[in-house]
Amino acid sequence: MGSYKENETRPRTLAHPGRYNPVRIQQMTSRAGRHIRLSLLPGVSIYDGLVLPLADLGIQYASTTILGGIFSELEYCVAPPDPKGGALIAYSAPLKAGLSQFIFGNATLGTSIKGKPMVHCHAVIRTESGQVKGGHILTETAIVTQQPITVLVTSIDEFSIRQAFDLETNIPLFQPMRGNEDV
Amino acid sequence: MSRESRVESGKMGRISYARILPNEDLVQAVEKLCLVAEFKNAFVRGALGSLVDASMEHRDGQITHIKGPAIEIVSIAGEVRTLSDGSVKADLTGVVSDTEGNTFGGYFVAGGNPICMTLEITLEEWLPQ
Repeated sequence: MGSYKENETRPRTLAHPGRYNPVRIQQMTSRAGRHIRLSLLPGVSIYDGLVLPLADLGIQYASTTILGGIFSELEYCVAPPDPKGGALIAYSAPLKAGLSQFIFGNATLGTSIKGKPMVHCHAVIRTESGQVKGGHILTETAIVTQQPITVLVTSIDEFSIRQAFDLETNIPLFQPMRGNEDV
Repeated sequence: MSRESRVESGKMGRISYARILPNEDLVQAVEKLCLVAEFKNAFVRGALGSLVDASMEHRDGQITHIKGPAIEIVSIAGEVRTLSDGSVKADLTGVVSDTEGNTFGGYFVAGGNPICMTLEITLEEWLPQ
């Protein structure tokens, strides 16, 4: 029965280890966001280049678009099934891309479970060997080379983005929160 | 008046940030997010997350299915518009990567991109004049 055959093109519904949360969209809205054009300077990591200047502007939470540029070092992870089975997916060990061209990426600035600034970044890159790859970028070890890299920042000012343990997926994830409560 | 393009002047409005939970469809979840946030029109300001599997359409109508899990969303651009019949439609394009980091690009097919672990997305409301 059904129009799908054994070619596995039908979207799959996966069962996560934790109990299904009936609220599927956790969202918060603010009246406006500040927009900032920021330059990541040579020798600085994505993490430091975002966190420190934005903290000076009083911005702890933001959504950012990182435009193209060159990184002298860059590491990324892919997301295969979790070999330990604690969650459906777990990040791989870091893969070294070397001297890399950053093609396009987005990064979310929030705070970790421990309350420290945290940057979650996914991007498309061209590795030193010439392969176009994508994945989760390790922002603390991604170092800008000679030319500054432009970032468009949209601030989140009226609520927070905080990492919290998610019971359904069994991993910590960014969630919008107001005060000490999640949505 | 220029015939090279159609201009719609306006301004940016509110910001909505959301975490979309697993098994929701990427495109339809963005549309639902606009309903929740009460945005008639919006632009994607940033989004990242993962998909169970991905379905991406190309200009000739062909669809590439990329098998996960997980397929990482590594870039998205797009907008949401309210149509004349009152329905809300998201058009999203971007790049995903598979479990070896190989990349694929195209239009995200509505109904064909279930979220795997999470989607973090920021929409900015667009207010036409």
